[in-house]
Parts: sequence; structure tokens; C-alpha cells
Amino acid sequence: MPSRSSASRVTPYADALLARDLPALDPQRRGEAVQFVAIRVADLPAPMKLAVGILAVIFDLGLSLGSRRTYISVSSRLPIPFVSEYPRLIRSLAFAYVWEKWPDTRPDGGRAQVEA
Amino acid sequence: MNLSKDAFGAGDHIEVEVLIIGSGAGGSPTAALLAEAGFDVLIVEEGEWYDQGSIKPFSLDQMEKQYRSGGVTVALGRPSIAYTEGRCAGGGTEVNSGLYKRPPHSMLTKWRDGYQIQNLELDDIDAIADEIETDLSVSYVPGESTLASQALARGATNLGWRNGEIPRWMSYPERGDALSGKRQSMTETYLPRAINAGAILSTGVRVERLEMIDATAGAAIVERRDGRAGRISFRHVFVCCGAIHTPALLQRSGIKGNIGKSLAVHPTVKLSAKFSEVINVDNDVPVHQVTEFFPHSSFGGSASQAGLLALALNDNWRAFRGQITDWRRMSVYYAAITSEGRGRVISVPGMRDPVVTYRLTKNDRTLLAISLGRLALAMLAAGAEAVYPSFRGAPVVRRPADVARLEAGFSATKASVMSVHLCSTVPMGEDPRLCGADSFGRVHGTTNVRVNDASLLPSAPGVNPQATVMALVVRNVRRFIEENVHA
Repeated sequence: MPSRSSASRVTPYADALLARDLPALDPQRRGEAVQFVAIRVADLPAPMKLAVGILAVIFDLGLSLGSRRTYISVSSRLPIPFVSEYPRLIRSLAFAYVWEKWPDTRPDGGRAQVEA
Repeated sequence: MNLSKDAFGAGDHIEVEVLIIGSGAGGSPTAALLAEAGFDVLIVEEGEWYDQGSIKPFSLDQMEKQYRSGGVTVALGRPSIAYTEGRCAGGGTEVNSGLYKRPPHSMLTKWRDGYQIQNLELDDIDAIADEIETDLSVSYVPGESTLASQALARGATNLGWRNGEIPRWMSYPERGDALSGKRQSMTETYLPRAINAGAILSTGVRVERLEMIDATAGAAIVERRDGRAGRISFRHVFVCCGAIHTPALLQRSGIKGNIGKSLAVHPTVKLSAKFSEVINVDNDVPVHQVTEFFPHSSFGGSASQAGLLALALNDNWRAFRGQITDWRRMSVYYAAITSEGRGRVISVPGMRDPVVTYRLTKNDRTLLAISLGRLALAMLAAGAEAVYPSFRGAPVVRRPADVARLEAGFSATKASVMSVHLCSTVPMGEDPRLCGADSFGRVHGTTNVRVNDASLLPSAPGVNPQATVMALVVRNVRRFIEENVHA
């Protein structure tokens, strides 16, 4: 069974990243997507899981410093090799989940307009 | 129908004549031919059995159930290269696009001469390919291909580039269409054949290591689905776990030599093309490929459900995100290159999975940029309104003049580079400086350990490799049967 501890480490940053990238995604859907990311992280190959676990701790530390919004904006665009893979991994998994599950989601994460 | 069974029962030790580890394009034909020749065969597979058609193709559900690590596996490097491996009965054949391309003669000749592969006769390989094509019902789509596939062909044709439909291992119902095929994967073909001939398939069994006494392997130590350990004694073993896990297992077993040092892949970059009409069809994989630039690169189409399109747009999300609402008018295409680079598979003591690395060369990086530019050009020539390349900071390409900006702005480190074709980690041949196994797959320095999967290919073939893998696998196992006349 995948370890749950490595999974739970990614959830604060994943939640913050999705809140910024998809601001209109309702909390329930965001929670589902974050949970999906966490489950996939828990199932990563052992060396990747170790690396992601370390990055999660570092990225989480940043969340407690100053403006969360600014931090997410900067940290998700860091051009640093390997480090930049972390937000990319989270975003990829979450976006794939959101648009597979709800294909007509708007670009801001909002639900598709229902025709009257 | 699930044909697997628990070979252990209540015990924890089994004795067999031939153990085959892995049930993909390597393991399944190996098992079928050996069982039909009268050998006592056990196939162990780490994943589980899923009937073809029981899982939505290219979905996250499929990723979770039939791919290793949910499809999230990476070769470290600059850039890291995402790759996927099947982990289920039938292996990668259950989940791949099913495109079939015969082994190119030029490649076979190059391998034979460069790696000193004995008795690699082109006529023999062609004859085996004929058999495989019959066994797998290799065929073209009935009627017209899907719009996304036609678009690629149209774009290439308009530019005067060679292109064509690639057949697939699919069977189609009478009066069926391009989307009505059933994949003739291993669970539909060679695995039932093996089991009908007396082989046993046991799923949910992971081999931790082989027990070696000097140069001979005597048993496999395994972990079963419920976490219990087991031991399988054998006379012969075929390791068919794919190009990552075959060398990892050999390394964990203490086997040295050229094992895991020469991973080859087809690095692939992508773009999304938007058309004026609806082009995106669920479960579609375009069957056309552009071969104008073979062997350096080839272009094709990918599955393009909304989730996969979001993935393709995500590298430049802030600029491209508005396009996701038009996903029905969009499709994802790829450019794959024949890389000069190589990677490694390194088994680390105490870690369940190996570390995988890959290094692109400078030429590879240049070729990726050029190939992505050419692909964009083909999509414009096909009538695309706009093209959205998958790399950070990519420009929108709306006219041919924009392609120069794409190529200038491209950097492999900014791109989502991926590959589904992994090979060459135990290359075959007699040259011990280059090869991990002999001309028929026996691992150098061992008496009874054989590899029979994509690991044996001396280099990436530049085409979808499954046909090449299967042809070499059948050749090798026939040689084994000749040499080990069964009492």
C-alpha cells in the first residue's frame, strides 16, 4: 500500500496552487482534485516519492511566510531544475483530473454555464 | 475472462521448468511458444488482469489500474522525461496505441553489424513478422480514419511530405468504423494461447530477486499480492519486465555487466492544434504518421480527451488556458525523435524502484525544436486556426512565419518531454563492451538467465517498437527450444 504520509505532505501546497490557478473551482471539487494528487503522489516510484517528499516540505515552509498568493505565484514559476518539477507535477495531475471528470469546466475552474 | 490463478495456493514454494517474469509483448509470446513446445511454464505478473474493454482507454482510471505508479514515472535529467509503463496482465500491449510497424531492415542490419548479433537474418525476421501480423490481426481501419488523423495526413500531403496510415493490432467488426476496433493485446492473443497449452499465469506476484549460485539462477524470491513472500525454483528463467524493470531485477540479483547502462527512448514533444470544426473524438488515437523525416523524427497524433488537452496546455497555462473551452475542436499531436542520448537504470539498495536517468544531447535538443516547428507547420497546412506548443513561454502559432519564433523560443528544459518507447537496457549481441546479453538474449556471464523484451533492442528503432520486440522475442525463444530439446 502507498504511504499516506508522503501523500498528505503535498496537500497544503496543492490546495493553494489550485486556488490560485483555478479560482472559481468550488472547494468540494478542489478538495477532490487535491485528494487525487495526493493519492498519485503516494503511488510514485520510491526515488521520486522521496524527492517529492523533500520538495513538499520545502514548498510548505514557504506557505507560512508572508503573502500566500505572492508565494504561490513566484514558486510555481521558479526556473530551477528539478525544483520547478514539483508545481508542474501537481498542476498536471490536478488539471488532468479536473478536465477528465468535468470536461466543460471553465478556464478559471468555474462550472460550465447551464443553458436555461 | 480472467485467466490468471494463484499458482501458490496455500503453499509458499513452487517448482517449475521455465519461469517467465512479465506478461507483456515479451513474456506472452515467450510463454505461448514454450508451452506449445511442451515446456512446463509459469508466468508471473506484478499487475492484475483486466479484460480488454473493461476500462476506458487513456483515462485516469486506466492509468491507476494498468500503468505502473499510476502512469507517473520519470527519467531524471535536464529536462526530466516522463515515461509510462504498463503494469497488468498483457503489459504495455493493453494500453498502448496499438500501432504496428515492421522492424526496418536498415535498423536490423545496423544492429547486426554494430553489435555482432549472430544469425540475425532479415528473411527470418520478415517471416516471423508475417506470423505475428496474422496472430494480432494487424489491419488498417475500415473506411475513413477519424478527423484528427485525416488532419495530420492532409497537412503533410499539402506540404509534400511522406505520410501514411499505420496499421494497428485491432480486429474490427463487419461494417465497423475507425472507432469500433478491439485491441488484439496479449490478453486476447498470446496469453490465452499459452494457457491453453498448459502454462499458468499468476498475477499480483512481484519478483524481488533471483537467487544466483555462481553463474546459474536457481530460484526467484517473490512478494505476493497479500504481502507474503514466496519462492519459485526453476531450470530456466526469462526476464521480460520491460526496459526499466528487467535491468533493475538483474541488478538486484547481483548480475553485473552491461545492464541498465544504455537506456534508449524516443523523446517526444507535443502541441495542441485548434480547428474550425469538431475534431476531438473520445478514445481516438490518430492512425496516420508523418515519416518524411525518418529516421530522425516522426509525427503522429495522441489521445486528446479534455483532461489530456488540459495537460498539453498546462505548460503555458496563463496564456493558453482560454482554449480549454474549445477542446472539442482541438487535438494533440506529437513529434518523436530518434535520440543520440542515453540513460541509465540504477537499482538502489533498500529502494523498491530503480532510479532512472536520461541525458539528451545538444543535437537532440536542436532536433526537438526543429521537429516541433515542422509539426506546427503541418498542422497549419492541415487548416488549423492556431497551434499551441507544449512548453513554457511558447508562442501561439497562427501562420508559418510564427514557426521561427516557436523554434527560437523552444528549450527542451521548458518542455514537457515524454516517451512511451523504452528500450536497450540489456542490448543483445556478442560484443561484450556494448551488450548485456548474447545474440539470443542469454545474459552474458549466466547459464540460464535470459532476457526477452524491449531491453534487448540495441538502440531505439525510430518506429513504434512493439513489432520489432515481438519479432526478436519469437526468434530467440525458437532458438531456445531448438537448444533445449524437451524430453
